[in-house]
Amino acid sequence: MEYFYSYLILASIFVVLGLATNLLVGIAGIFSVSQAAIFGVGAYVTAYCLVNEVMGFLPAVACAAGACLLLNIVITLPALRVAGDYFVVTSFGIQLLATAAFLNWNGATGGASGMAAIPPADLFGYAIEDTGSMLLLCVAAMLLCCLAFYLAMNSPYGRLLRAIREDELAVAASGKPVIPAKAAAAALAGVFGGVAGSLYATFLSFIDPSSFDLNASVLLLSMVVVGGARTLAGSIIGPFVLLALPQVLTMVEIPSTMAAGVRQGLYGALLIAFMLFRPQGLAGQKL
Amino acid sequence: MLLLQLLVNGLVTGCALGVVAFSFSLVYSTTKIFHVAHAGVYTLAGYLAWSLARAGMPDIVGLIVVPVVCAGFGVVIQRLLYDPLAQRRATHLVVLIASLGLLAIVQNAIAVLWSPDILHFDSTWRVQTIKLVGVTLNYAQIATVVVSVALYGATLFATRHTGIGKRIRAVASNPFLAELTRLHPRRTYAMVMALASALVAVPGMLVGFDLGLQPYTGTTVLLTGTVAVIAGGVGSLTGAFLVSIVVTVLQNLSLLVMPGQWSVGITFLIFVAFMLVRPRGLFAAA
Amino acid sequence: MTDHHRAAISDVAAAPVGRRLFTGALLAGLAGLSRHARAADPIRLGAVLPLTGPSAATGAQEQRGLQFAVTKFNAAGGAGGRMIEILYEDNQGRPDQSVLAFNKLADLNKVPVIFTGYTGPTLAMAPLATRKKVLLVNGAAQGDRLANASPYLINTLPVVRDEAAVAARYLYETGKRKAAILFQNDAAMTSGRDDFAEAFTKLGGTVIGQEQSSFSQTDFRPAILKLTSLEPDVLFVMLTDGLGALAEQVEQAKPGFTIAGTSFFADPTALRQKGSTGWIHTQVRVKAPPETAAAFKQQAGTEMDFFGIQYANAGSIILRTIAGVMTDKAELSGEAIRTKLFAIRQFNEIIPTEFKTNTASMQIDVVKIVDGKDEFVKSYTSE
Repeated sequence: MEYFYSYLILASIFVVLGLATNLLVGIAGIFSVSQAAIFGVGAYVTAYCLVNEVMGFLPAVACAAGACLLLNIVITLPALRVAGDYFVVTSFGIQLLATAAFLNWNGATGGASGMAAIPPADLFGYAIEDTGSMLLLCVAAMLLCCLAFYLAMNSPYGRLLRAIREDELAVAASGKPVIPAKAAAAALAGVFGGVAGSLYATFLSFIDPSSFDLNASVLLLSMVVVGGARTLAGSIIGPFVLLALPQVLTMVEIPSTMAAGVRQGLYGALLIAFMLFRPQGLAGQKL
Repeated sequence: MLLLQLLVNGLVTGCALGVVAFSFSLVYSTTKIFHVAHAGVYTLAGYLAWSLARAGMPDIVGLIVVPVVCAGFGVVIQRLLYDPLAQRRATHLVVLIASLGLLAIVQNAIAVLWSPDILHFDSTWRVQTIKLVGVTLNYAQIATVVVSVALYGATLFATRHTGIGKRIRAVASNPFLAELTRLHPRRTYAMVMALASALVAVPGMLVGFDLGLQPYTGTTVLLTGTVAVIAGGVGSLTGAFLVSIVVTVLQNLSLLVMPGQWSVGITFLIFVAFMLVRPRGLFAAA
Repeated sequence: MTDHHRAAISDVAAAPVGRRLFTGALLAGLAGLSRHARAADPIRLGAVLPLTGPSAATGAQEQRGLQFAVTKFNAAGGAGGRMIEILYEDNQGRPDQSVLAFNKLADLNKVPVIFTGYTGPTLAMAPLATRKKVLLVNGAAQGDRLANASPYLINTLPVVRDEAAVAARYLYETGKRKAAILFQNDAAMTSGRDDFAEAFTKLGGTVIGQEQSSFSQTDFRPAILKLTSLEPDVLFVMLTDGLGALAEQVEQAKPGFTIAGTSFFADPTALRQKGSTGWIHTQVRVKAPPETAAAFKQQAGTEMDFFGIQYANAGSIILRTIAGVMTDKAELSGEAIRTKLFAIRQFNEIIPTEFKTNTASMQIDVVKIVDGKDEFVKSYTSE
C-alpha cells in the first residue's frame, strides 16, 4: 500500500504549501506566484544540513523555516509598492531568479544534478525510514499547520488581513498597521513553506530544481483555487484532488503514445470547467 | 566584434519578442485579461505553418494564411471562454487560471497532433546567409526583423489613426462609458483578440523558421514578453516593443561579463529592482 | 505529423493502459487478493518516462523504442506464450511524480521491471528499487552518480564518463589543446562537461570556456558567438536535443574549430543538416542494423533516433532476460530477472552490450560525420 501512503504523504505536504499560498493569495490578497521558490529553499536548506551532517533533522527544519520566513518577507516586500498584475509579473521574476539559483549555484544545491541520498527524517534519535512512519509525521505536521492557520484566521489578526484585502486604504486610514500585518502573513506562509520543503526533501531523499519551478508555483495556485480560496477546507481539498487527478486520468482509455498529452490536456479542460462553473472552488468563498 | 554580433543577435530575437509583447499588451490594456493562452496561439501558428509547408505550400502562404486562422481562433477564445467568464463576473485570478488551463490544452493538443519532437521546416531559403558589416545573418533572421518592425509600425498607425483603433482605445480607457456610448465593448474585445492573435502568429512562424518548433517553449517567451509589457508601461505599444529589444540585447550582452546560465536570472533581478524604483513602468500613460 | 504517422502510432499503441485492467489491478491491490497468473495473462512491465512537459521529445522517442522492442518480441511469440505489455506512466521529468508512479507500478501493478530515463527521476526512484527489489532499467540517462545508485539499477548505456574520457583522449591525440564546452544544464550533461574537462586537463589540454543552453532551447547563437571569440581548437558539445538547430547555426557562423561530442550526435535531424559535416563524436555502438532501423521507421513512422535505439536495445535485453527466466520456470521477480541478466551477461540484441557491473560496457568508436553519414575513425573500449 505504499502507493497510497506516498500519495497521502505528498498530498499532506502540498496541503501545508496550499495553506501558505491561500494565506497570501486568498486571504491577504498578495498574488504571489513564487511560493515554489520558498518551498525549494526549505527543501535545499534541509537537504544541505542533513547531507553535510551539519545538524539533525529537527534543527534543520527550524533552520529551513527560519530562512524561509525571512526570505518570504523580503520577496513579498515589493507587494507593498507594486500592486495587481504588476506584482504578479514581479513575482514571476522572483520565481525565475530562484530557479536560476537552484540550477547554477552548484556548491550549495548540486546544480542541475540535484542532491541525492538525503538521510531520512528522525525524531529524538528515532529514524523515520519506512513510509508508514513518514506518513504519520507528515500528517502530524499537516494537522499542526492547519491548527495554526485556523487559529490565526479566527483571531483579530485574521479579520485585519481580510479587511486589508477588501479595502487597504480604509484600513490604513483607520490607523491599523497594514505593513506589519502583510509582513506577518508572509512570515507565516514562509514557515509553512520551509516545513513542507523539509518533509519533501527527507521523503524523496532526492531533490532537484524541477520540483520548485514556475510550473510548481502554478500548480500550487491551481490547488488553492480548485479547493477553494480563503478557507481551511479548501486548502486541504485542493491538493488532495489535484494530486489524485492525474492518477485518476490514467484510467481513461487512450492509446498509449498519446495518453500523456491527452491527460495533461484534460487537466487543462477541467481547470477551465471549474473556473466557468464553480469559480469559488470545491469549498471556498467567491474570489 | 563579439559585442556587435551579440548586439545584432539580441536585436533579432528582441524584434520577435517585441511583437509577442505588444500584441499581449493590446489584449491586456483593453480587456484587462492576463491572457497567458496567447503563448498557445504563438506556438500553434508555427505548427500550422509547418503543416502547410509539408502540404507543399511555399512558406509565404503560411505567413499570410495562418494569421487569419489565428485571428479566428482568438475570436473563439474570447466568445467561448472570456465572455462567459465576464458574464459570471469572474475575478482576475479566476480568468488567469482559466487561461492557464487553455494554454495546457493547446500545448498538449499540439504535442499529440504533431509531435513533441523538435520540428524543422524543410525549406532552404531560411538558412541562406548574407554578411553585413562582419555579422552573418540568415534570411529567416532578416525576415524576422523586417516583418516585426513593419507590424509594429502598422499597429501603431492603426491604433492611432483608424476608427477601429480609436474605438479600441476608447473602450480600453473606460469600458463603462463605452457601453453607454454604444461602442459595444464586447464586440471590440473580440476584435482586439482577433488582431492580437493574428499579430502573435507572425513571430510564432518566424521564430519557427529560424529555430524550429517545440510545443512547450512558448510560455517562457510570453513571460519575458509580459515583463517587457509591464516594464514598458501598460498600454504603451512602443514601451513593450522597445523594452523587449532591450531585454534580449541585455541578455545577449551579459555573456560578455558572465556565464550564460545566469543571464535569465540577472534579467529578472534587474526587472524586480526596476519595478521597485519605477512601479508604473517606463512609458506609462498618465 | 502525417496521417500515415498517426495511423502507425495507433498500431504501435495497441497496448493501452486499459480501464478494466487498471480497475482490476486496483481492486486486487485494495482487497489484497493474490492474482494467479494464468498462462494467457500478459506479463506487465512498467515505464516511467517524461511524456509531457519540456522533455517530452525525449520521452516520446524512448517510448517508441520500448514499444518497438515489445512489438517485435510479441510478434515472435512472446515469453513462453505470454505476451509482454508495458504500462507507461508520465513523470513530466519530475522526481516526485516519478516516486508516485514507481509506487503505483510496483504496488498496484506488481511489475518486476520499470524502465526509466533522466538522471534526476532515476536517482529519486533508486532507493525504492533497492527496497522493493524492482529492477530499474535506465536506457539513456548518463549521469555518473547512476553507476552506484542502487544494485537494482541497471544502466544499459555506459555512463557519460567513459565517452567523455575517450573523446578527450582522441582530441588530445589529434593535437587539440584548447577546448571550449557547450552544454545543456541538466544532470547528465553537466557531469559530461565536468568529466570531459577533468580528462582533457589531465592529459595536458586546457578548457578555455564553457557556456550553457537551457533545456529545450534551440537558440545557441549567443553561446556559439562567445565561445568562438575565445578561439578554441575544439568545441565539445554536451546536448541531447536541438542538434539540428545547432548544425544550422554552426553552418551560419562557419567557425574555424572542430566540433566534437558523444553518442547524442547520432541524431537524424542533425545529420540531415549540411552544418554537421566534419563533426567528430564518440559513439557507443548505437547504430541499429539497417533492417531494424527500417522496420522501426515503418512501425513508428519516424526515424530511429538515439533514444529510440537505446530503448529498443534496453527493452530487447530485458525481454530476452525475461524469456530466460521463464525458460528456467523461475518466479518472475525483479530479483530473478537481475540474477538472470548477470548470468547471461553478454547480449547481442540491437547493440552488443556486456554487463560486468550494473552499467553496460560497450565498445566506443570515434567517428566523423560526412554528408550525414558516420565515417569510422578509431575504436576504444569502455571500462
